[in-house]
Amino acid sequence: MTGPVSVAASPAFWVAVVAYCTASVLLLAVLAGKASARPAAVAFVVIAMIAHGTDIGWRGVEGVHPAGSVREALGFLAFIITGGYLLASTRYRLTLGGVVVMPVSLVLLLLARLTPVGGQREDLSALGRIHISLATLGVGIFALASALSAIYLVEDRALKRKKFDTAAFKDRGAPLEALDRLAHRLVWVGFPIFTVALVLGAIWTARLGEDLARIEYLLAAVTWLVFATLLVARQIYGWRGRRAANLTLEGFAAALAVLVIYLVRRIVG
Amino acid sequence: MSELFVVGLSWRTAKVAVREKLAFREDEITDTLNALIRELPVSEALLISTCNRVEVYGVAKRDADVPASVRTWLAQRKSAKLAELNDALYERRGPAAIRHVFAVASSLDSLVVGEAQILGQLKDAYALSGTAGTSGPVLSRAVERAFGVAKRVRTETTIARGAANVSSVAVELAGRVFGDLAGKSVLVVGAGKMSSLAARHLYTNGAQRIIVTNRSPEKAERLADEIEGTAAPWADLEKLLAGADVVISSTGAREPVLTRAMFKRVAKARKYKPMMIIDIAVPRDAEPQIQDIDGVYLFDIDDLDKVVAANLAERAKAAEHAGRIVEHEAGQFEHWLRTQGVVPTIRALRDKFAQIADAEVHKALDQLARKELTRDQYREQLQRVVQLVINKLLHQPTTVLRSSEKEQGELRAGVLADLFALEISDHPAEELAEHPAGDDTTERKAQA
Repeated sequence: MTGPVSVAASPAFWVAVVAYCTASVLLLAVLAGKASARPAAVAFVVIAMIAHGTDIGWRGVEGVHPAGSVREALGFLAFIITGGYLLASTRYRLTLGGVVVMPVSLVLLLLARLTPVGGQREDLSALGRIHISLATLGVGIFALASALSAIYLVEDRALKRKKFDTAAFKDRGAPLEALDRLAHRLVWVGFPIFTVALVLGAIWTARLGEDLARIEYLLAAVTWLVFATLLVARQIYGWRGRRAANLTLEGFAAALAVLVIYLVRRIVG
Repeated sequence: MSELFVVGLSWRTAKVAVREKLAFREDEITDTLNALIRELPVSEALLISTCNRVEVYGVAKRDADVPASVRTWLAQRKSAKLAELNDALYERRGPAAIRHVFAVASSLDSLVVGEAQILGQLKDAYALSGTAGTSGPVLSRAVERAFGVAKRVRTETTIARGAANVSSVAVELAGRVFGDLAGKSVLVVGAGKMSSLAARHLYTNGAQRIIVTNRSPEKAERLADEIEGTAAPWADLEKLLAGADVVISSTGAREPVLTRAMFKRVAKARKYKPMMIIDIAVPRDAEPQIQDIDGVYLFDIDDLDKVVAANLAERAKAAEHAGRIVEHEAGQFEHWLRTQGVVPTIRALRDKFAQIADAEVHKALDQLARKELTRDQYREQLQRVVQLVINKLLHQPTTVLRSSEKEQGELRAGVLADLFALEISDHPAEELAEHPAGDDTTERKAQA
């Protein structure tokens, strides 16, 4: 296996950074009532995604696999989140979601490209790559579900508290029922992917003879448990709305904690 | 020059007692327009009569004070005393009239800014003026442009966004929770007038069915018939609630009929699927604590009024932007209107010039066809043709200029210098001798 790979940031990376920043500012302006900024905001989200994808492709050509390490996977995760957001935006008005998603994608991309390469494991087998790819995809889908859940909670709060003059209310975003349904569907799709990733990760770790009782593995199991509870409770007891949104956010927070621990571990070696 | 004008009154200037004195029925309008054109120096006319405004738009034939005559004429036509109407009547002329019709079409002058009804009413009025044969080029252009401006205002601003009455707010809030109302069911609790209006509004916006329940079954039946719903017994209230997505409550009960305990059971039975309660009763029908239950959204009459107020404030903000659009469009229309006076002259001038040029080119082509010419001869011939055309074009103005009295001649010379951006020489006699344009001898020589 190859050792640590350090590749300079591509021009596409900088284009993506600028586009993410601009899209965030424009979406904020839209939310503040400047409706005319919406087409420009959408255009910059598209530019950010294209540039981001180009950057991933460019790194691939340079021999850096998008799931070659947790650090690389973060960049890939941001790409999935942006893509998913863009896809969902074609159906619903998700300005509020964009205000959350764009900065998150930007931070993930910056973490992926600008943090030190650190000690990289040299024993990354095909099993390891598949595990990282699937885990990234699963967490990416959970991230989107969480973004929708966050919007749900904000809009639900505005309606419950009769805050009719807030930016969230005025933006006339996606209806609550649709947000809840879409977040649930995403969890439905992400859960099996994440489950397979978890099983493969356990096998891989066992093969390497590593200790399974590490905090990141424990948190990954917690993530799985939270989303499993969510799906079962919805099916049996009809959990939805605020309760489901809170659980989705909690599950995603656990998944994010796993990523952060991995990243820190790799950086400090 | 003909001038666009408007004379009328609206909710801004007249109370309903005055507005009704001047109101026209739809079947009166065609005759009224024809009489107006016949009896006053007006070449084009349109009359709009709604519950909030009565206005006559027209094009005055000459510079006389036509709007003042229209005031008197309207009062006579409706057998009203002019003195009673005069304070309420307003008039706008020229650019102000254009701005006014654009603002009216864009619903900036409406009682509820942003409402869509006025545009339809203006379209109907325009159609009636077409039927009466009283809409001409200026009025047609102005009104059609007003439709365009209204469309632009609705597209580019948020003026039409947000409901502006309680029934529409119910639909808007339901949209926030459910999005599409298709397939949703509405339960009307109590047989109040307001709840039936709101239910009907939800139904026309896609709700699948309406069920009415009331302590008095007869009243429930009657209301159900009125709003194409189904009546259900009051005893089944809790079961009915479990099957409803939107509940509109308006009973006359002194104590709440929709309790928190009831809704806890209902929410569980619905597996916490979202539901919305619109309580328009005073005293309220629903316990406020229902709001705490997950997935249940409760709005009382004060909440609905708050939404209306927020939406109207939003519309007022958008109206500023819309005003700028109207101003800009009115400016462009004024420019178009100003150019209309000179268009026939420009057209005639172009036609005359083209005629002269065509005639000379044809003559020259005939002559050229009969001769074998060298390249130099060809060029010489071409120059002669151009010279001929110039001479013919300048012959008439030169003759007129020469035969003019001193003062008039100077005035005409000034206009010509201005139109052709001429640099006037200090020695006109010498210049003319060198370039004898307009002198027929050149033309005769060339033809020979």
